[in-house]
Amino acid sequence: MRFSSISFRTCVIILCVLLGSCKKFVQVDAPFTVTTANDVYASDATAAAVLTGLYTNLSSSDFTSTDFRNLSMYAGLSADELTLWNGTSIVWQNQYYTNALSANMSGAAFIPWNSVYPYIFTCNSAIEGLSSADKLSAAARSQLLGEAKFMRAFFYFYLVNLYGDVPLILGTDYKVNALMGRTSKDKVYTQIVNDLLDAKKLLDSTGYVQSDCITVYEPSVAERVRPNSWVASALLARVYLYMNDYPNAEEQSSILINNTNVYGLESIGNAFLRNNSEAIWQLQPVNVGWNTEDAKLFIIPPTGLSTSNPVYLSDTLLNSFEVGDLRKSNWIGNYTDVTGTYHYAYKYKDANLGDPVIEYHMVLRLAEQYLIRAEARAQQGNLSGSQDDLNTIRTRAGLTSTSANDKKSLLVAILHERQVELFTEWGHRWLDLKRTGQIGAVMSAVAPKKQGKWDSNWALYPIPVDDINKDPLLIQNQGY
Amino acid sequence: MRRPLIACKRSHDFCQKDGTGLVAVRAKAAIGSISLAMRITAAILLIGALQVNARGVAQKVSITGTNLPLTAVFHAIEDQTGYGVLMEKSTLEAAKPVTINLTNGTIDDVMKVCFSFQPWKLIYTISGRTISVSRIVGNTETGKPGGPIAPSEPSFLLGKVKTEGGVPLSGASVNLKGTRKGGVTDNNGNFSLQGIRPGKYILEISYVGYDTYEETIEVTGSAFTVTAVMREATNSLDQVQVIPYGSTTPRLNTGNVTTIKASDIEKQPVNNPLVALEGLVPGLFITQANGLPGAGATVRIEGQNSIDNGNDPLYIIDGVPYVSQTLPTTQGGVLGMSGPSLGGGGGAGNPLSYINPSEIESIDILKDAAATSIYGSRAGNGAILITTKKGKIGQMKVDLNLQEGIGKMPKKIAMLNTPQYLAMRHEALRNDGIASPSFTDYDINGFWDTTRNTDWQKVLLGGTAQYTNIDGSVSGGTANTQYRIGGTYHRETTIFPGHFSDQKASVHFNLNSISPNQKFQIQVYGNYLNDNNRLPAADLTGSAFPLPPDAPPLYKSDGSINWALNQSGASSWNNPVAALLSTYENNTENLISNCILSYKLLPGLEIKSDFGYTRLYTKEFTAIPLTVFQPEILPYVQRSALYSNNDIKSWIIEPQISYNRAVGNGRLNILLGSTFDKQWGMGDFLTGLGYNSDGVLQDIHSASSVLVNSTASYVYKYNAIFGRVNFDWQNKFLINLTARRDGSSNFGSKNQFHDFGAAGVGWIFSNESIFKRSIPFLSFGKIRASYGTTGNDQIGNYKYLNLYQPVTAGVAYQGATGLAVQGLSNPYLQWEATKKASAGIELGFIKDRILINATYSRNRSSNQLLQYSLPVITGSGGVSANLPATVQNSTWEFSMNTINVKAKYFQWRTSINFTIPKNTLLSFPNLNSSTYASFLALGEPLKVNKVFHSLGVDPTTGIYIFQDLKGNSTNSPDFTTDRMILVNTDPKFYGGMQNVFTFKGFRLDFFFQFVKQLARTATKYSYAGTFPPGHKKFNQPTIVLDRWQKPGDVSMIQKFSSTFEYYTPFSSIATSDAIFGDGAYFRLRNLSLSYQFDQQWLKNSGMNSCRIYVEGQNLFTVTKYYGLNPETQAINLPPLRMIIVGLDLGF
Repeated sequence: MRFSSISFRTCVIILCVLLGSCKKFVQVDAPFTVTTANDVYASDATAAAVLTGLYTNLSSSDFTSTDFRNLSMYAGLSADELTLWNGTSIVWQNQYYTNALSANMSGAAFIPWNSVYPYIFTCNSAIEGLSSADKLSAAARSQLLGEAKFMRAFFYFYLVNLYGDVPLILGTDYKVNALMGRTSKDKVYTQIVNDLLDAKKLLDSTGYVQSDCITVYEPSVAERVRPNSWVASALLARVYLYMNDYPNAEEQSSILINNTNVYGLESIGNAFLRNNSEAIWQLQPVNVGWNTEDAKLFIIPPTGLSTSNPVYLSDTLLNSFEVGDLRKSNWIGNYTDVTGTYHYAYKYKDANLGDPVIEYHMVLRLAEQYLIRAEARAQQGNLSGSQDDLNTIRTRAGLTSTSANDKKSLLVAILHERQVELFTEWGHRWLDLKRTGQIGAVMSAVAPKKQGKWDSNWALYPIPVDDINKDPLLIQNQGY
Repeated sequence: MRRPLIACKRSHDFCQKDGTGLVAVRAKAAIGSISLAMRITAAILLIGALQVNARGVAQKVSITGTNLPLTAVFHAIEDQTGYGVLMEKSTLEAAKPVTINLTNGTIDDVMKVCFSFQPWKLIYTISGRTISVSRIVGNTETGKPGGPIAPSEPSFLLGKVKTEGGVPLSGASVNLKGTRKGGVTDNNGNFSLQGIRPGKYILEISYVGYDTYEETIEVTGSAFTVTAVMREATNSLDQVQVIPYGSTTPRLNTGNVTTIKASDIEKQPVNNPLVALEGLVPGLFITQANGLPGAGATVRIEGQNSIDNGNDPLYIIDGVPYVSQTLPTTQGGVLGMSGPSLGGGGGAGNPLSYINPSEIESIDILKDAAATSIYGSRAGNGAILITTKKGKIGQMKVDLNLQEGIGKMPKKIAMLNTPQYLAMRHEALRNDGIASPSFTDYDINGFWDTTRNTDWQKVLLGGTAQYTNIDGSVSGGTANTQYRIGGTYHRETTIFPGHFSDQKASVHFNLNSISPNQKFQIQVYGNYLNDNNRLPAADLTGSAFPLPPDAPPLYKSDGSINWALNQSGASSWNNPVAALLSTYENNTENLISNCILSYKLLPGLEIKSDFGYTRLYTKEFTAIPLTVFQPEILPYVQRSALYSNNDIKSWIIEPQISYNRAVGNGRLNILLGSTFDKQWGMGDFLTGLGYNSDGVLQDIHSASSVLVNSTASYVYKYNAIFGRVNFDWQNKFLINLTARRDGSSNFGSKNQFHDFGAAGVGWIFSNESIFKRSIPFLSFGKIRASYGTTGNDQIGNYKYLNLYQPVTAGVAYQGATGLAVQGLSNPYLQWEATKKASAGIELGFIKDRILINATYSRNRSSNQLLQYSLPVITGSGGVSANLPATVQNSTWEFSMNTINVKAKYFQWRTSINFTIPKNTLLSFPNLNSSTYASFLALGEPLKVNKVFHSLGVDPTTGIYIFQDLKGNSTNSPDFTTDRMILVNTDPKFYGGMQNVFTFKGFRLDFFFQFVKQLARTATKYSYAGTFPPGHKKFNQPTIVLDRWQKPGDVSMIQKFSSTFEYYTPFSSIATSDAIFGDGAYFRLRNLSLSYQFDQQWLKNSGMNSCRIYVEGQNLFTVTKYYGLNPETQAINLPPLRMIIVGLDLGF
């Protein structure tokens, strides 16, 4: 084979041009629709947006979804608070109601485990990103780190109370996390306390911050939708109470109760309005045209019970109100059709499309702090202090002072007060029954009324079988 | 003189040294004719243009001059007439100059003058556009000049190879059998063979896609000229097979490739060309998601290589890569998926639905490494090359094809009638100890009219789908330019009540033009299709079955939707026709275009480049009017509409250089090339809320608020260098080596590039004389083998980056937009590699009337690149990762084509193909401690079902019982520990059989498809396994009547219950071995009968051809499967039974 020199040169040039291949060609920049992790924690605004995103997601899920926010309904069904409409064909609603949960549940079922761990991942990655962020202002970094730690504690609090021992995941390395076993409840609580103590120090302690996570609102117009140092104290008070650490529980709840410039009990009718003085932490509704999702879920419309409104208040709860309790007349609505009269939770009152937003979704409120302190004081033998706190709540409800005058009866009275004060809020009743050891006695009586049976193992929900299958170190709760 | 003269001079020097050559004298001014080369066996020399102006091709020649060299005269002839002159070089060099003065003379006149000056007797012959001049030697009648030449003196052979249309074929192999003489034709189709001793020879000329030309020649004189007219191949072994960056024939291919021609696609009334391939191709298994137009289709070539992602083949349409999954559609779930979506999120439907089947000329399915390795990373799962129809040389031809037909639901399931249904419900209440029906038991508490008995399958699925396809094309061309322009309109409706249809309009064109000197070629392809698919937002099939037979009428007497409101004003049922008011509309525009420029630098050396551009734009719209909702939901809902736009554009440039030459008696073909590919996608998904009326839902401006659910943007870049060496020694030994280096932006910078390569060898032993003698009935025999690697980068974009994206919210939290982590990232992602080994034997008997092909292939995929599923405690369902697992697919493929009867008027042909696949998880380090332990097992197929062992219904309690880990029976087996039975639902074998009968103008085709498999038969235990028989307001198949009623009963179905009490055993039966049954089926996939009118008969009609036909698709299925369709194994619309009549006219 011989080429003339010209054609040979030509060929060589063409070859070089045509067959060129460069490494640069196959490198691409990240698309404009996303921000890379490095950029996110490089400015105050984008770093704050990560936490804002978390609150948005927490607030946006509606009641037909299976999100964590449904705890009010599902834990209420598991306990003695709610009755399930007999027309429902949704299997897992029935399973929560009859305490017959199946470990095989998946997909559309309400599984708090599945919604909470991704939130924890967000907290963990924010904590990692913020810890190494050196371009943020000190104030923003501190506030955001505090928010992330607070949120992580908040989520673990529910996990540990719903499932018992849970994998304590504090990092983002999936290789490590995918093979996590369960951490003892005590260790999880220790982590929760540490996170909350850190958060208390890190978070703003002068008021509620705006979306930039630095500027503090004027008190009169404060949107109480972002955690601050007081919010951390409020959750810490609850956590100490659950840990039976009564002095600390009292101390933390006192911080809120004594902060009368910011917090005070509202009248019964105003307790769930947006940014009211009883609110310690609320979630701002983000679904267009709607107030809270809880109002949509619980208020029974003129067409009656349906898959959209499948629950009403149980007779057990209704019968536990004392005569003259303003909460019964104010916070409970009723609906009647040919099949009977149904009572529903009416704490949130606006379920109409297009109304102005006047109610925010309450997460932590002052009334609970009074009840925490009442219980902590009773446990420490400060009976009069306990009575005072309890009576504060009772007075607001239009009731006379408590007749309980010893520790045992006071504790019974406080548990009862919690039942009628905090019903259909974040599963308080289900958690209270468990931590006070009352669950066996109460559920054994209630289960047959729900066409179910009771087994003490069922105080804990089952871990989703998908995770059990994927993580060989995860062991299922007993009884499932 | 222009530059080419230099080349001319140099070549002249060179020629003189050679001495024995032949000179082809051409003077046609070639565009940029800059180079030359010599052949070893024959010096064919190109001389650049002289200073003669081209005056077009004319038969008349005018030449004037004194003492002109003969070459100058010949140049002038070629310049003025386009006829080249071929002459032995030594004679030309020895020729005397001529003096000529001729105006408007003929070629013969010129020749006579020229010859008169010469010392020897010369003759010339014209064949095609070649004038061969030769010197007469020996003792012929006037053979005095030149003196005696010994009879043994070597002679030479001149030839010209062209098609029936007169197009010269360059690159054809020429072989003089019994000698070592051989060569390749030049750009003009000319060849010459030197040093041939007088005698009888068989001249053999072969060219891809043409029957081999054979002629017995007797060489007597010193020169002999031959014109070979090649006929397009009739033997399927010699028909063109498209391969990456080129073409070959089944005879010479070392790879495992199956070619499907237009005739097999056209006769099937399908919406997606892939669906037409079902059952036709060994090693290819296709499953349709459902029977809606545009539905998803899962395509697997030689099995599933990747554990859960990226199993799609590479699609190449006219040289341009095409997406294997639709854009990540945000709606349109009704269409079903084309296999599991990619890490990047594949959408509903199948992208090949946007390719018009009637424009396809052929589809080549490439399976093994020899065939696919040159595509490197993209063809780890095989490749499907689609070639569209091209214009052919000839007069303008107009074709018109009209089709009209209907489609019906092919099957019903026997469901309970009202008396049986009511009895079931009451028995359930009795079993539960419930005295009377509750308020919401409208079906039995007297609220509904229990005398009604509606067959909901008839009402909702009993409609008739209309099918229309109008297809027209204009084509034709000259030897240098061919064109084809076609257009199609296609419309299909559904069997559902309501106005739903899929309408497509498409335009296709191509243009192929080559310069008169046959050097520069341009080919342009364009395919544009516009699809408007309007469907209900949900498949109604799912809701037709569970409706109780006593459910109320669909509409009230005033025509409005009947919700059968209860006393509170709430609906007592979910009226299925309300769902039809929520419509889904998918508008897709698809453009695929390619321009291929090629230039023959030197004989055999060609440079070429593809310039492709594609655009796939999908706009979706879903309307959710208030009328869709039950009255009780109305307070919580508002009118809404979903809008999404997705746009993917890509360009590709693939420069290539190929060199093709003869080496001894062999043929060498070298290809070098590179690929630059860029794809970029943009998308958004919006929800509009708060419209004033249902009529304005399509206008987003009428929404009071708009929610941006998501936006997407990505860029994918891909770069490669590839090369291929093909060597064919005497059509006996074939070697094919390929290599590719790929870079993909789907990977982080550390692992961006990867190398792939393959080798294929073939031995056509039937060309060995020993076989020819000993097995005379063996007309073809080849064994082939290949081994190589291919890869996979189907993971979606940016998986190596840690990204945050905005959070969707109607009202911004605190007025600010939030960000959320997009998922887990993995910066260490690497390429997945598949090692493919394949060996096959191909045999032809009795002049290839029986062709048999058997192939065994073994593909092993390792370093599996996939969405590694993770426990949710990690915060995510999975991460893209490489897994050190190995998956093996071993496949036996057989095919046989026979011509059973070949008489004058009657012909009967049969094709059978048969595949035995086997998919095995070969290794998986630490499987039991991985997240995959739950559904994979070593030594088992990837899709193995791990299930409980059912012990049937406990005769005492009437509840399903299962075996637990310890061997005890239980009602509630443990999902983690008790699934001990492994059930393999992969096909055991599959294939198809086609018979074609032709008698005069009649043609009858029938095509059966068969699959042997175990299938999930959930319908056996309850409608779709969702609700236990007896549960509220759900009808059941009649098979549930075999239920347990009293202690001692041995039955298949557990006792009826209206509550959830026995739900766990009921749901466990669907995860047990009891649910699997025989899913084998034998389907008459296509039957077509056509009559082609006789041409004589049409003579005065103005038509050239006229064919009428009737076609049937999915006419019947023989199966024991209990359920709607053993193919989809789901309760959704099965592929319809279609009957089409058509008329095909040619003008």
